[in-house]
Amino acid sequence: MPEQAMAEMTYKDRLKVDLFPTIWCPGCGIGTIMMQLAMTLDELGLDERNTIIVTGIGCTGRMGGYLKHEAVYTLHGRTLPVAEAIKTVRPEMNVIVVAGDGDTASIGGNHLVHSIRRNAPVTVLCNNNEIYGLTGGQTGPTTPTGTKTLSSPAGNPNTPINLQAIVRSSPHALYAKTTVYHQIHMRNAIREAIEWPGFSFVDITSQCIENNGRRIGFDSANDMLTFFRKTYKRAPKDADHLAPFEIGIVYPADHPSRNGHVSAPAATAAPDTQVEPAGSIPSRTDPEPKAAPPTDDEKARRRAESVARAALMAKLPADMKLRVARREISLEDAMREAGVDPE
Amino acid sequence: MTRRLTQGNEAVFRGAIAAGANYYAGYPISPSTEILNIASGWAAEHPELRFLQAEDEIASANAVIGASLAGAKAFTATSGPGFTLMQEAIGYAQKVGVPSVFVDVQRVGPSTGMATMPAQGDIGQVKWGSAGDYTPIAFYPNSVEEAFRLTIDAFNAAEESRSPVILLSDTFIAHLNEVVDLDELVASIEVVPRAIPALGDFTDAPRFFAGVLMYEHGPMAGEPATADADEYLRQFYAAKHRHLEVAARYARYEHGWNVEADVLLICFGIVSRVAAPLRDEFALFRPIRIHPVLGDELREVCARYREVVVVEANDGQYADMVELAIHRQVKRVPLLGGRISLEAVREGVDRVLGGGPSEPPIPETPHERGPRATLGVG
Repeated sequence: MPEQAMAEMTYKDRLKVDLFPTIWCPGCGIGTIMMQLAMTLDELGLDERNTIIVTGIGCTGRMGGYLKHEAVYTLHGRTLPVAEAIKTVRPEMNVIVVAGDGDTASIGGNHLVHSIRRNAPVTVLCNNNEIYGLTGGQTGPTTPTGTKTLSSPAGNPNTPINLQAIVRSSPHALYAKTTVYHQIHMRNAIREAIEWPGFSFVDITSQCIENNGRRIGFDSANDMLTFFRKTYKRAPKDADHLAPFEIGIVYPADHPSRNGHVSAPAATAAPDTQVEPAGSIPSRTDPEPKAAPPTDDEKARRRAESVARAALMAKLPADMKLRVARREISLEDAMREAGVDPE
Repeated sequence: MTRRLTQGNEAVFRGAIAAGANYYAGYPISPSTEILNIASGWAAEHPELRFLQAEDEIASANAVIGASLAGAKAFTATSGPGFTLMQEAIGYAQKVGVPSVFVDVQRVGPSTGMATMPAQGDIGQVKWGSAGDYTPIAFYPNSVEEAFRLTIDAFNAAEESRSPVILLSDTFIAHLNEVVDLDELVASIEVVPRAIPALGDFTDAPRFFAGVLMYEHGPMAGEPATADADEYLRQFYAAKHRHLEVAARYARYEHGWNVEADVLLICFGIVSRVAAPLRDEFALFRPIRIHPVLGDELREVCARYREVVVVEANDGQYADMVELAIHRQVKRVPLLGGRISLEAVREGVDRVLGGGPSEPPIPETPHERGPRATLGVG
């Protein structure tokens, strides 16, 4: 496959290799994600003129500085509003968000939910290492229950956030799960996500050996990668939902796969996906375009009518006025009843 | 030529459009909401204006930043509590140098406070609301026409200074209706074009817009400078000098009323309108550029008066800044709880000039239940 080989040789053009070595610890998974992203960009022919990188705070956020692209290193958690606005103003650009799990799902969780709701056409690559690494190893939103961290010395008492359920709360969003061990799969997932026309999210399980792995019993980064290899299995190709420790790409229920490997039967919503929220109130707004605004003549006619009506009202006794105002009786009837001459 | 009744909030929106704004993001909050409503309607008819109703003010402020970096002239409008949520993003925009306009229609705080009542309690928040040191530029109109003009100034100053510029307003100015001819004004307006190339349109090398300190030039360009005080000094003072230089071009203030009087009232925004019936008795200094504080102008004008009285709808936020600028004690009349009336100004000014305290007499809590409280104006 000469095409593939060529792609792999030129991906370094996407990287600022003169800034290497990176600041990431030896054994960190982020470099692998960056390499796969660079390869995908190269393969898709995306460059610094048509692709913008938006990153968050934390170890992952530093990736923007190493990619040879215009990049916005946003505030902690604020990648999505920035990315969505960039895409709105420059729809011809590809906008790729790279952020950690803490950035995406904790401090930026509200933005995640709402960018999904609006189906913002951006791609999110989430480096999900299940820990706050840069600050030394505190419990993150995806830290598994029971994991001991600096901020949960007795084990994390909480349930990790369900990113798949959140992303797939929208019938339009693409969700992919992969790991740093499954590099070819990761690249496929990133490519599918970038090419997806709506919101797409790649949840990449990766290893933080220094500030998480060693504390929970792994000897080395390789040890963690071996764990990923042995634990994570590919989901069936037409899976409409990923079970725990399954990797795969889950397309929205109403979209056939664009990857050429699925001819799934008529798609059904995933069990955790309600396509239509129950009991939503149908809009009473007239779907037809609004009538043209009244002309000046029409306004003048209405005003004359209103003035004439006010003049008639003035002739009525107070109690009758009140009844007319409450629409208990028409003005004409009130005039008759009160015996007032309209002239 | 179309003279028509125009609301303060609408004038701000129209000013933004006249200045070339093509991105609006916002979140509903009284008393700024009309700007959001008008923007959504305008965007429906003018697709060149992109509109986002964001999930919160944090998102709207960050969307403004993203839109601006992507090449749009972007703005948002909010009130005190929303402005508080935006402070993080404003700090980022200061650090990165993002031209943008933030409109803060002030109401009574802190917190949710008195949502429909006017105040001027964010004078300090504009200056010190975000972490670290920065030099914000802020304007504060006192009429519908000035709201229009100053919005355009704010957009122009934002481009020139490459920073987030604040347009202050208040419940009364926002909901004030005056007859103006904005179309005629547009003809005399100069609009400053975009200052920075949009994302993807870089000239030399791809840029990295970071809130963290990075080397921007030289052999270390692209590397973090997070422990280098020298680089901090270079970047901090470059921004500060640029902002001060631009601010100097917009040193707007009004010195008027009875300039021969021996007492000077300093007031701004709606208070300067409410106090106007005292025009025969007092001189007026009305800062229009609220930040940076008009130090030279204040020193020059205040020196001519026996007494300086700062009348403002907060507990002395601007008075503090005046004292720092003129090295002299001023008298303070705080108009609190939304009570911005001629009677309150008259009573307060007489009290402090008669040697009384700046704190107004506090009525006792009533012993009996009165009629149900009204929701207030606005």
